[in-house]
Amino acid sequence: MSDCNCEATENKPAEVKLVPRERAGIINPMYDCQPAGAQYAGIGVKDCIPLVHGGQGCTMFVRLLFAQHFKENFDVASTSLHEDSAVFGGVKRVEQGVMVLAQRYPNLRVIPIITTCSTEIIGDDIEGTIRLCQRALAEAFPGRTIHLAPVHTPSFKGSHVSGYAECMKSMVKTIAKKGTPTGKLNVFPGWVNPGDVMLLKEYLGKMDVDATVFMDTEDFDSPMLPGKTIETHGRTTVEDIEDSANAIGSLSLARYESGTTTKFLADEFQVPNYPVDTPYGIANTDAMLRKISEITGKPIPESLVRERGIALDALADLAHMFFANKKVAIFGHPDLVFGLAKFCMEVELEPVLLLIGDDQGNKYKKDPRIDELRAAADFDIEIVHNADLWELETRIKKGLKLDLIMGHSKGRYVAIDANIPMVRVGFPTFDRAGLYRKPTMGYKGAMELAETIANTIFAHMEYTRNKEWILNTW
Amino acid sequence: MPMVLLKCDSDIPERQKHIYLKGPDEDSTEFLPVANAPTIPGTLSERGCAFCGAKLVIGGVLKDTIQMIHGPLGCAYDTWHTKRYPTDNGHFNMKYVWSTDMKESHVVFGGEKRLEQSMNEAFDEMPEIKRMIVYTTCPTALIGDDIKAVARKVMKERPDVDVFTVECPGFAGVSQSKGHHVLNIGWINEKVATLEPEITSEYTMNFIGDFNIQGDTQLLQTYWDRLGIQVIAHFTGNGTYDALRGMHRAQLNVVNCARSSGYIANELKKQYGIPRLDIDSWGFNYMAEGIRKICAFFGIEEKGEELIADEYAKWKPKLDWYKERLQGKKMAIWTGGPRLWHWTKSVEDDLGIQVVAMSSKFGHEEDFEKVIARGQEGTYYIDDGNELEFFEILDLVKPDVVFTGPRVGELIKKLHIPYVNGHGYHNGPYMGFEGFVNLARDTYNAVYNPLRHLAGVDIRDEKPTVLPVKIREAA
Amino acid sequence: MEDKIEDLFDYVQVRCLWQFFSRTWDRQENIDGVLGKAYELFTGKEPSLKTPADKLYYADAKTMVADCLASFPWIKQASEAEIRQVLDGLKVRLVDNVITKSTNRELTHHLY
Repeated sequence: MSDCNCEATENKPAEVKLVPRERAGIINPMYDCQPAGAQYAGIGVKDCIPLVHGGQGCTMFVRLLFAQHFKENFDVASTSLHEDSAVFGGVKRVEQGVMVLAQRYPNLRVIPIITTCSTEIIGDDIEGTIRLCQRALAEAFPGRTIHLAPVHTPSFKGSHVSGYAECMKSMVKTIAKKGTPTGKLNVFPGWVNPGDVMLLKEYLGKMDVDATVFMDTEDFDSPMLPGKTIETHGRTTVEDIEDSANAIGSLSLARYESGTTTKFLADEFQVPNYPVDTPYGIANTDAMLRKISEITGKPIPESLVRERGIALDALADLAHMFFANKKVAIFGHPDLVFGLAKFCMEVELEPVLLLIGDDQGNKYKKDPRIDELRAAADFDIEIVHNADLWELETRIKKGLKLDLIMGHSKGRYVAIDANIPMVRVGFPTFDRAGLYRKPTMGYKGAMELAETIANTIFAHMEYTRNKEWILNTW
Repeated sequence: MPMVLLKCDSDIPERQKHIYLKGPDEDSTEFLPVANAPTIPGTLSERGCAFCGAKLVIGGVLKDTIQMIHGPLGCAYDTWHTKRYPTDNGHFNMKYVWSTDMKESHVVFGGEKRLEQSMNEAFDEMPEIKRMIVYTTCPTALIGDDIKAVARKVMKERPDVDVFTVECPGFAGVSQSKGHHVLNIGWINEKVATLEPEITSEYTMNFIGDFNIQGDTQLLQTYWDRLGIQVIAHFTGNGTYDALRGMHRAQLNVVNCARSSGYIANELKKQYGIPRLDIDSWGFNYMAEGIRKICAFFGIEEKGEELIADEYAKWKPKLDWYKERLQGKKMAIWTGGPRLWHWTKSVEDDLGIQVVAMSSKFGHEEDFEKVIARGQEGTYYIDDGNELEFFEILDLVKPDVVFTGPRVGELIKKLHIPYVNGHGYHNGPYMGFEGFVNLARDTYNAVYNPLRHLAGVDIRDEKPTVLPVKIREAA
Repeated sequence: MEDKIEDLFDYVQVRCLWQFFSRTWDRQENIDGVLGKAYELFTGKEPSLKTPADKLYYADAKTMVADCLASFPWIKQASEAEIRQVLDGLKVRLVDNVITKSTNRELTHHLY
């Protein structure tokens, strides 16, 4: 007698609920705070060292976080707020920090000055300080330009997701300059890995589209070279950012991570804003490519049709055999979670629980992707916003049956203790090797993600002796 | 000039007071780096904050205590999944972190109600946990939330819980060190002697300044078990909240990390007359000496010699195998502070390794007195080293291996220099006899890594580089 | 005599930690206590082990005495008076180095 594990017993419409975390406090936060996100945006720029205005932990913990994810060092400086500044104000430390950086790093061209909860509460006037700094820099280094971008990212608002968006916008606002039209397309993918940056650049290349990806983090996966040079830096230059104002349009791939920047470019510089749903999965990627083709007039090439076909072929091998009716929980950045939910449904996985980790619930209520899920789902979906990872853990403890968890590495013990297979996706993924190099977006990303899901489930079947003989011949 | 001004510091010449190159016949009365001083902004210093020193280093190690961080979510997120201190009860300390998720409204109207609610929720969600430490962070300190008052209220309403509070905003002091201090002094003034421990041996001690990194504390505990010594409290490796309340009853305080935990040892001596014995629990020879001293104190020297003889028989041959192959290799140590003086002479004596440069993030002048007394001439001693200084020093001393954190290790990897994780170890534990052999093994494997040779090959060269055929030996 | 004091001073600095405690009074107590017990052990006397402090100084001194006997042949030949002289000289040397001339700014702070 086979146990089909399916609950198809009655006809009722699927329910998609959006609920907040009910507890006031957090147990196991899903995100870091705003300054962390701001730093991630800053390190994507070439010849840039972000200066975090706050306690030393705001910088040091985040440098560690990046190192855990990428297995690389990134340069971020601190104004090292001490007690006297907390009492008397910290602007002198910003002035000193900027000057010390300028003196010791002669190639430095951009310094985002990132505020934290402490310096926002103290009320340090960053914009005023920047004016003072520019005067001092002009005197000390005539002829040299260092862009100082004010980034207001207190930790008691939003999360690293909104902090990233805020720093992106601030750097563009500070540096973008109206000039000769470039004929280029701005592409803002949001908070992604180098693997996704490389995939987007490859697609744009195949479509013969002249584009600039903001920020180009391809070199975050950097080599050991015979010449011993250190190349772990963002590739996006000051000139790239300047020219973002002169593009034919901005493609925003992440509503919550790049949307505010592309809107700014539209409002300020009349660069048309083209937001698309984050390209996770087949349909979202289709839509993105169609939009690029529409904006640029370039046709979608045969090679991408072929890549799409290869992905579909691989997915077809997995979907109804291994994925159908399997219940999945997904946690991570909001655009990632919504995108992956749709992808899951393309391959018959059931994303029954989605968790998004910050206080922007009012925005999520208006996200059209939730209505899309409601229309398409044939199973109930619970979406928890302002969620922490205890929300996931307690639901499992109270009986929620999951076949798969997809999320970042800080959720690992939930999966380990409940013995549920977990695929690491998003940020950070430090407990697995090399994930930053892989795409999650696009056809290739969808295919590789599906294959990782399959292989994870297969390994779990073997270690738990759960019908592992199915794989004897597949 | 013994105090060194590096080229990269020409614009910040005050750094010269912090970097010492030891010459012949000098001692630290003439030349001692200034330490525990304010950080220069913008230098890419390696320092962290006071909250880190309190929660991540000391308080968060406990295996039965809720770590309630009163502030926005980041301080909690950042101090979770960043340490390797297991416990014998399923690693409760590494699986969870708590935050009051402070928002703008709390900045304006105060966060005490939010704290109280979070504390109650935490106890309700985990009814088997009855102990908690509450930490302030930058914003909650700035707005002046009275966390002690909230803790008192919660304890009154829940008579079976106990709560300790630590005021350690990130901007306090100049580094992690202030956090150590505040927690130490707070604990002895408020919690020590609030509980009487059960005494199970005629020999009792506290082990202070060891945080069970990769099982260090548990390894050492096998020695104390064998010697019949009761460790009333571990401060704080694999430790419990209530054990720490009974520290006043120990006959002896054995201190490894004098930097993070010397304060409570001093106060226990001052307030309870408990003598403080400083040892090095890293180092093969040092471990034997430490055991001898502890046993001499208790008058059980014979048992100590038996233990040492057994451990030597088991581990010394392995250690010596590594010593033969590491003889003359050069090491740099860039860690918090005490490991500089724990390791510089022990790697030299036990493994033949020459330590050529050392940098301390948060050590005090006392730590430099110790390391300069133990360290060699021709070696650099650096307080609060920064990234550009590291590059210049590497060029000057050319170490074969650096003991430092993973991020710095991943930086120097580009220079084909291997690192061993000097904080959370590679494959530890590193304390005790067996631990030092683990340290030796990781060092050997780092130094004799074939990838170093492969990295130096440029495949565009006309004449291919000849690589050594055999690089490694079976241990 | 100077050489002999230097022998012991070098040993203590490289090997010991008790002379580097947190404050001037802690360092003075330890120096007095350990060297006091060391004298008794070098000269074959039975050290008093009444108080916890006694036992601690004994523990530190015992190791020091054993190491020094093994490393410095002159000690076995030294008379009680010579031992007294050397240890007194060592005390002066240590106090001078770790207390009087130390530039460690924390040594005189009255609180821990």
